[in-house]
Amino acid sequence: MKTRNVGWKICSYVILCVFLILAVFPLFYTISASFKTNSEILSDPASLLPKNPTFDNYINVLNSDVFDFKNMLKYSIYYTVVCVTITLISSSMGGYVFARGRFRGKKFWFLAFSMLMFFSMGSVTIYPLLQTLNFLHIPKSLHGLLFIKVFSVNIINIYLVRSYVVSLPKELDESAEIDGCSFVGIFFRIVLPLLKPLMATIGILAFQGSWNDYLMPMIFTLGTPHQRPLVVGLVALSKSGETAANWNLILAGTTMSLLPVLVAYSIGNRFFISGLTAGAVKG
Amino acid sequence: MKIAIKNPVRRRWGKREKYELQAYIMLMPQIIGFLLFSIYPMIWAITKSWYFYNGISSDTRFVGWENFIRLFSDGEYWQTLANTFLFAIMKIPIELPIALLLAVLLNQKLKGTGFFRTMFYLPHIVSTAIIALVFANIFNYFGVINALMQKIGILEQPVDWFGTKMKAMWVLVIADTWKSFGVNVLYFLAAMQNIPEDVYDACKIDGAGKFTVFFKVTLPLMAPVLQVILMLSIIGTLQTNELVLVLTNGAPGGSTYTVMSYIFQKYAPGLADVGVNVGYGCAMALVTGLILATITLSYQRYSQKLNDIY
Repeated sequence: MKTRNVGWKICSYVILCVFLILAVFPLFYTISASFKTNSEILSDPASLLPKNPTFDNYINVLNSDVFDFKNMLKYSIYYTVVCVTITLISSSMGGYVFARGRFRGKKFWFLAFSMLMFFSMGSVTIYPLLQTLNFLHIPKSLHGLLFIKVFSVNIINIYLVRSYVVSLPKELDESAEIDGCSFVGIFFRIVLPLLKPLMATIGILAFQGSWNDYLMPMIFTLGTPHQRPLVVGLVALSKSGETAANWNLILAGTTMSLLPVLVAYSIGNRFFISGLTAGAVKG
Repeated sequence: MKIAIKNPVRRRWGKREKYELQAYIMLMPQIIGFLLFSIYPMIWAITKSWYFYNGISSDTRFVGWENFIRLFSDGEYWQTLANTFLFAIMKIPIELPIALLLAVLLNQKLKGTGFFRTMFYLPHIVSTAIIALVFANIFNYFGVINALMQKIGILEQPVDWFGTKMKAMWVLVIADTWKSFGVNVLYFLAAMQNIPEDVYDACKIDGAGKFTVFFKVTLPLMAPVLQVILMLSIIGTLQTNELVLVLTNGAPGGSTYTVMSYIFQKYAPGLADVGVNVGYGCAMALVTGLILATITLSYQRYSQKLNDIY
């Protein structure tokens, strides 16, 4: 019996390690190859580690004419910071209102917002979005996209906050109400401070989502290429036709775009995972 | 003659109204956004399905069912829809069993399970567009996969992974599986950890073996969650868009487009050809949206059986 257990354990570890290698390999190779020279990338792709590690690619990326890294980084940070801020404000307020608000039409709006999860018309709805922006004299740009995001409904986050607020003891806001606190006041003074752990989860997921965002920023920066965020710029570089000549730039740029998310994950991976399981599998 | 009776006491804003007003003010940005940026665009696109529309207002005209009739004989469109299902059929039977196996292994009392779990989820935090770039690089003709396989001796000649449809589809499947298997491992693990310990104790007393316990106890108890996971997986796969657009963009020759990526590439503003009939794209999006919604709903209906197992 004992030997069978040890055998099973070894077998488990072997399978786990095989998948560990598969999970890590693409990223490992990308990061490792970003320290190779372009000729080594092309001539000896099988080598897993660079023979003569060099920072040249990174220096080239930072000074490249075809790829304005610093500017893209700036816009990536701008886009991410605004998105995270908006998401935190709107999802916490939305969740609170739907959990504790007593108002006519509450059910209607909640159902209406939920409906968005089930039916979507996809990319063709960008035309009317652009028309509306045009009507409001907001140009099609990254700023325009952020304007839309200010008003967007984050229904999954609303669900998360709502169920969290529902689980808080009602006596808290009842006593605040008796003391003369308004509905808005209860949110800022009582509920919001208690939401901190959940806000960390939502914030970190919003950070990951907006930093990684590609399709919408790509469409909205087609006419304003200098506003491209990093991910959009990297893909544009890879599609520019001279991919083979640019692999070193792409790999170094990719590595740098991965870095913030990887650092965030290594520090707060429990937030990533708790957000996931809280959102999807309940009971 | 009717006499309007005025409220003798001028009505002051009561506490209830004040509360209502505050709630609405807090919700206002999202209500505005919902109407202006979600509902209006949807209605716009649905309406335009019956129009010829190329962005020039003088060209816009009502065409009745013409767009839909054209759609039903549009081989290219149905090909992309078939492709989407092919993609799902290739991916889900690989991904879910792998995830389930890994979840079973991680659900034991082993050292380092937390580490494995964290690493399996790692690919999921990477941008889909970046994943596409990474896989385009490693599956490149001169890339590391070809080189390594030659070194080991599996391949004699490097393979052009984007040369034929099926090879390119497999690269897409591998990239997408790589991205999402960790999520499913976590879902499965969460489901298994919800099963009370005493069920297993009872099995032990009855002398059931590991495999019997798994197939006769664990799996049936997980059935409701399995249903959710399968549904999420199906929806996610049918919606596949970004990965295809960046990794193959239909290569070779538009044969690997999924339906979402096809509509995006052909009809999204800025990517579409100048003068293209967006109304036709709207009809396409509408039909696709309805097909996908029907699949989701009918799946939910018929899979109630999975719920009834336990």
